Amino acid sequence: MSIRLDNVSYTYMKKTPFERTALKEVTLTIEKGEYIAVIGHTGSGKSTMMQHFNGLLSPDAGKVFVDNVDINAKGAEAKKARNKVGMVFQYPEHQIFAETIFEDVAFGPRNKGLSEEEVESQVKAALSFVGLDYDTFANRSPFQLSGGQMRRVAIAGVVAMDPDYLILDEPSAGLDPQSRDNIFREINALYQARKMAVILVTHSMEEAAQYAQRLLVMAKGKVVIDGESAEVFQNHREALKELGVDVPQAIKLADVLRERGLQISNDVLKTEDLVKQIKLAKGWM
Amino acid sequence: MKPIIEVKNLSHIYHDSQNREIRALDGISMSIEQGEFVAVIGTNGSGKSTLARHFNALLCPTEGTCLINGMDSNLEENLWNIRQTVGMVFQNPDNQIVAAIVEEDVAFGPENIGVPQAEIRPRVEAALAVVNMTEYAKHAPHLLSGGQKQRVAIAGVLALLPKCIVLDEPTAMLDPKGRKEIVATVKKLNEEKNITVVYITHKMEEALLADKIIVMKQGKIEMQGTPGEVFSKVEQIKELGLEVPIAAEVAAELRASGQQIPENTITPEELAEALCQ
Repeated sequence: MSIRLDNVSYTYMKKTPFERTALKEVTLTIEKGEYIAVIGHTGSGKSTMMQHFNGLLSPDAGKVFVDNVDINAKGAEAKKARNKVGMVFQYPEHQIFAETIFEDVAFGPRNKGLSEEEVESQVKAALSFVGLDYDTFANRSPFQLSGGQMRRVAIAGVVAMDPDYLILDEPSAGLDPQSRDNIFREINALYQARKMAVILVTHSMEEAAQYAQRLLVMAKGKVVIDGESAEVFQNHREALKELGVDVPQAIKLADVLRERGLQISNDVLKTEDLVKQIKLAKGWM
Repeated sequence: MKPIIEVKNLSHIYHDSQNREIRALDGISMSIEQGEFVAVIGTNGSGKSTLARHFNALLCPTEGTCLINGMDSNLEENLWNIRQTVGMVFQNPDNQIVAAIVEEDVAFGPENIGVPQAEIRPRVEAALAVVNMTEYAKHAPHLLSGGQKQRVAIAGVLALLPKCIVLDEPTAMLDPKGRKEIVATVKKLNEEKNITVVYITHKMEEALLADKIIVMKQGKIEMQGTPGEVFSKVEQIKELGLEVPIAAEVAAELRASGQQIPENTITPEELAEALCQ
């Protein structure tokens, strides 16, 4: 059970003066059950790669397999494979379109050809997963919700598809800290319950450090670093800096303290690690 | 000295689809001095953006008054002057660009208010220089990065020679590099050009740069003060659904375990100072 990119390349606006290669010979396997963060600055190829995972873009060269099915082939099998990959775009609330929250979340399951009873139970489960009470919200207009709630509805719409691979493109952009934490609590609960793959595209190194087990760093259309999150932030500092990629705040703060002579080990990733290290260094525990 | 923005007892009321009264802003009084850098924080829906939109009369008070450089925003004859005094930059760079060439985009504002042709070019050049985008003057905006687009949007506001710029989450859609570009640009405008800055953000590290922070909750000002004063109230800030910068968080944790860390330790340098004397 995996998404596999085999030597995938993609060029935008081919054969025009604006031609730009966005992906270069990327080979990569993502197993179901992994929680991955993808980082890299704008234009590094993150979004282009994501759009290959569910066939929104098809590669100029190379192949994309979902559970060993070439998703760019013709036929029912390829379509079924593409449907296993759910994608929540940036600012998903901009894609809400239906008159009621129920209708919006039901769109995907219905499209999949489920019966009305199945659709209803999927919608119920999806709404409860994102923390919206079915009886209160099902018949409301999604356009009267707050930004954070609208985003939860949009995520529910993808969750209702019950994807094996869930791609989230900056799910916390523009949200306040509390709404951001709520969204991640829901995503993580979903991940725990269903053990699908979560592929998180983010500019927040704190999110990458805190939630993901594996980190992919992209630059110029390639995956340049691929490793365990903690290991990447510890051992690839110079490379990350060169790529213009940030490191988590806790690591930066640890650097400042270390420069001032405090003995802080270099495996600090989160705030709680740092607090512990400071206490150790000062002999406070 | 007369404040650039002075708000007295300001309420903004609208009615939702069930005709219920919603008070987006509820009896706010505050003022901002010329040259101040003020950050506004608060959860989604706390009224930050609604308040900011009163500062250049995109919205007008339902109750109370809003004086911009002494001009009452409820008087229609003041609107043009107010909007030249206070410029707005929004979250999404793509929604703010109107022209097909960077310099034409920056010239749009001054052309629109009837600045003489001879004066427009120097204004555009100066504005692009301030935001470090001179070399992109002839480029097409849609091919720029998010941070570059946002700097073009700032230049467009600067070409109107405002006294104050209001930025509503200008970095929310940018990557770390773009964020740094914008933060540096805003800081420079404030320090070198003495432009008053009102900066709405969810990023506490950015709010740290301000002279003063205003914390909003449900249409009211819950707290205001220097970053040191605001971020040392860690518990209160967290209860509001916000967070504090990491150094303040670490300081609070250490204090909670019985260590002596000064109250307004909020930056990495201050924490280092407190720990490494």
